Amino acid sequence: MLSLKQISKYYQAGGSKTYVLNRIDLDVDKGEFISIMGPSGSGKSTLLNIIGMLDEPSEGYHYLLGEAVHQLKEKQRSALYKQNIGFVFQAYHLIDELTVYENIETPLIYQNVKSSERKALVADILDRFNIVGKKDLFPSQLSGGQQQLVGVARALIGKPKLLLADEPTGNLNSKQGEEIMELFSKLNKEDGVTIIQVTHSEKNAQYGSRIIELLDGKIASSTLI
Amino acid sequence: MLKNYIKTAWRNLWKGRIFNAMNVVGLSVAIACCTLLFLTVHYEFSYDRFHTNLKDIYQVYSVSHRPQGDDASTSMPVPFLPALKAEYPEVKYVSRSANSGVVVRYANKELDLDAHYVDEDFLKMFTFPLAKGNSSNVLSGLNNVVLTEEAAKSIFGNQEPIGKTILLKIEDKPASFMVTGVAKSIPSNSGILFDMLIRFENNSIYKDNINQWDNWTHLVFVQMKEDFDPSTFTRRMQPFTKKHFTRSIEALKSDGAKPDADGNVFSLHLAPFANNHFSVNMGGTEGSPVSKIYVISLLIVGCFILIIACINFINLSIARAFTRSREVGVRKTLGAGKWQLLTQFWIETVMVCLGATMLGVLLAGLTMPTFKAIFRSHITIGMLLQPAQLSGCIMLFALITVIAGFYPALIMIRYKTVSVLKGNMVAAKPGKLRNSLLVVQFSLSTLLTICTIITWQQIHYLQSKPLGYNKMEVLSIPTGYNEVGSNVLQIMRNKLGNDPAVLSVSGAYNNMGRGTDGSMRTSIQGFNYKGHEIRTHIERVDYDYLQTMDIKLLEGRDFSRTYSGDTTAIVINEAMAAKLGGKNLVGSFLPMNDDKKPAQIIGIVKNYNFRSLHEEIEPLTLTMNPEYSINYVYVKVKPASLVQTFDRIQKSWHAEFTNTEFRGSWLNENTERQYQGEKRLSGIFVSGAIIAIIISCIGLLAISIMIVMQRNKEIGIRKVLGASVTRIVFMLSGDFVKLVLLAAFIAFPVAWWLMDRWLQGFAYRIHLQWWVFAAAALLAMLVAFITISFQAIKAAVANPVKSLRSE
Repeated sequence: MLSLKQISKYYQAGGSKTYVLNRIDLDVDKGEFISIMGPSGSGKSTLLNIIGMLDEPSEGYHYLLGEAVHQLKEKQRSALYKQNIGFVFQAYHLIDELTVYENIETPLIYQNVKSSERKALVADILDRFNIVGKKDLFPSQLSGGQQQLVGVARALIGKPKLLLADEPTGNLNSKQGEEIMELFSKLNKEDGVTIIQVTHSEKNAQYGSRIIELLDGKIASSTLI
Repeated sequence: MLKNYIKTAWRNLWKGRIFNAMNVVGLSVAIACCTLLFLTVHYEFSYDRFHTNLKDIYQVYSVSHRPQGDDASTSMPVPFLPALKAEYPEVKYVSRSANSGVVVRYANKELDLDAHYVDEDFLKMFTFPLAKGNSSNVLSGLNNVVLTEEAAKSIFGNQEPIGKTILLKIEDKPASFMVTGVAKSIPSNSGILFDMLIRFENNSIYKDNINQWDNWTHLVFVQMKEDFDPSTFTRRMQPFTKKHFTRSIEALKSDGAKPDADGNVFSLHLAPFANNHFSVNMGGTEGSPVSKIYVISLLIVGCFILIIACINFINLSIARAFTRSREVGVRKTLGAGKWQLLTQFWIETVMVCLGATMLGVLLAGLTMPTFKAIFRSHITIGMLLQPAQLSGCIMLFALITVIAGFYPALIMIRYKTVSVLKGNMVAAKPGKLRNSLLVVQFSLSTLLTICTIITWQQIHYLQSKPLGYNKMEVLSIPTGYNEVGSNVLQIMRNKLGNDPAVLSVSGAYNNMGRGTDGSMRTSIQGFNYKGHEIRTHIERVDYDYLQTMDIKLLEGRDFSRTYSGDTTAIVINEAMAAKLGGKNLVGSFLPMNDDKKPAQIIGIVKNYNFRSLHEEIEPLTLTMNPEYSINYVYVKVKPASLVQTFDRIQKSWHAEFTNTEFRGSWLNENTERQYQGEKRLSGIFVSGAIIAIIISCIGLLAISIMIVMQRNKEIGIRKVLGASVTRIVFMLSGDFVKLVLLAAFIAFPVAWWLMDRWLQGFAYRIHLQWWVFAAAALLAMLVAFITISFQAIKAAVANPVKSLRSE
């Protein structure tokens, strides 16, 4: 479903190029749950952002669901993104001014889903995540774990085929982290959502089906579990 | 979708309420100002627009090409109109126009009303619809009179006015008139104002001057046929002028007149009546014209304030955008499109603008009474609801929201999603634009400040300049229409003669300055003297005039009761003496009037400013010629008890003249009234400058908050490295103070040019001084520095550990 060919990302610093990613080749099949690991500065987040089209590679070829992303126009890319990708962040990135309900609803608004349909979908996911009672609270009134739960719910509301998570448990305690990882694992197995997560934690990486080790912008190893 | 936008917009606005409150305050003050100013401007431009034939109506004026320059005059001789009508076929309607006060008597009632002497065409030409009567024939009879609704009501009460006979006392001769028409109330934005219309033939000047081509007494309006080209008028009138104005042309030629391009020393022209309200330099128009400079200043000050407020809005929104960058990033990852984000931010802008507009209009409504009083404006808040104004407002509103809303939104959208989400504030440079906007703001503020100081200086100069006569202790009392002026003077002399506080009493034809009656007369006479035409202002005075006014006599003597022939004698001023030339003028004779005895010069007085300080002192001749009426009684009182004496004089006036209001005023009040226009202008500049500076400072405050936020970490590091609070404050303020200084330098030449032009309008004026400019710049810098220091000090004294950790 996803294929990266010779993807590089570099910054021009003075006369020389500083590579963040250096000729990465990566193929991801539907239904995989991949954990990207590596030390700080190895390019994990950049790789994830490029996969998620938040960032553009300096060179290389990027295919998603059969589309050549590197050739798409802004509008088509945005459409592709909206329909297929959900993002979960370490810092949750909920919108402070919106309630739990509204936060989850927002992606649907941007997809021009009708109001009645939105209501049903949001009610459904609130129910599934057991946060119906919290729907009118603002993010600042929730614990970190709850906020991340909302973050995941928001990422999933558009029924994405690919869920990208950048250290989703980084700001959580171990119990909260476990819950989120259990949820990911369940989503992967039961709903068939393809997941790519960046993590520092060896333990969290074990939830996945494959671990990719990055070092200095290159894939050092790719291990199936 | 929209509901969602509005909801989030509201929450966002509430979250940034301090910023947004500043924004709303600044904008609403600006909107209030602009509402008042633009309505006033619109009103001034609406003058006389209600005449349906406006584009074809002209006022006739003549230009004499005198050696010292062109001299335009709107006064026309009595036979001009019949001749024009007979010889110039393109004329559709014509009417002479003169006005004076008349006393109306009807069934024991006596009223002072303002009469317009016009010709029959007047009502066909001008759109003054009649409530009663037929405009084609109401003035067909010589003794017909048309009243306005108000005048009819005050004369007849609720009785039917049509067909009633009233007695009009015109120049002391009563005559019967029949009411044939009632005109609807005249709109307040009409240049022509009257209580009644009567035929021009009733005017006392008519019979004496029926064949006099060189006695200029009244205004002439013409309505031309539709396909008429006004540019050909002057040329086509050349034969007409040569035929009828022979004497005037000869007089001009003998005086060495400079012919114009067509070789004429005297020519007739047309001034469009549409421009009537702004023709201040025509010398004689209907109504009280307003200088276009004044109206345009209003417009410009309004625009300045609006621009400054818009710049503020943009800067404040950009500042807010920094705190919103994360939200934009998140929304983008949730799939928000560019236009969706733009719309969201635009809606927020619209909401702020809407709030500001409502508040602004409310503020305008609250301040309107004061504004109207200060600027003599006739506006009402209801005028906003007229279609033209309403659509104007909506367009302006849309423009502001688009300019002030879209730009910051665009900036926000351009943020790189990834870096924003990582928490890296984009320190990219909207700096250049922001700084340019800031410079514009402060240039305008400095410009207004300089204008304020200079107009204030000039007014102060006008008020404190010695005029050559006593303006502090002399009271001027208009004699009114009811009484014969010389009788009034005589009675007052007798009454006040015994009052120990009264030093002397005299009278004159013309007032000094502008009295409470608002009248101003100009009487200029020309005559031939040793082969030259001499033109002089004429002032009819009475005995003790020089003594009463404290005018200094240089040679000869004042008029005196001991010499019997003094009614034909004259006293001249220095300017006149210089004009006549030669020595030993006292005792010589001037051929002032062709048909009468020459007048003997008995004295020369020191020059004094008998006109406003806009004008140089011109030749003046004082005479006691009884053909001129006495219109003002002057009373000089002892300086010790001005108020009590005033009251006493008022009392004795009322005892004597029961029908005439006492409208006496001190001469210094009169002279100040001459500069009301300037005072209003200065008032506009003062309020404009203050508002501009306040709004600019609100913007600066917002920017300083933003800057401090951006440089928080830098400030922390500097503090850790040992920088003192003062150093940090100066570092933060320095950049802005430099910008303000730059702004001031941009404003200098503009201000200099503008004020220099303005001062050219005064014969007596101050010189532009460098320190005014320096002071304005210093003021702007000081205000800017104080504004920024608030934030800078706060940032500088904060604990650096905090700012460094938060990053």
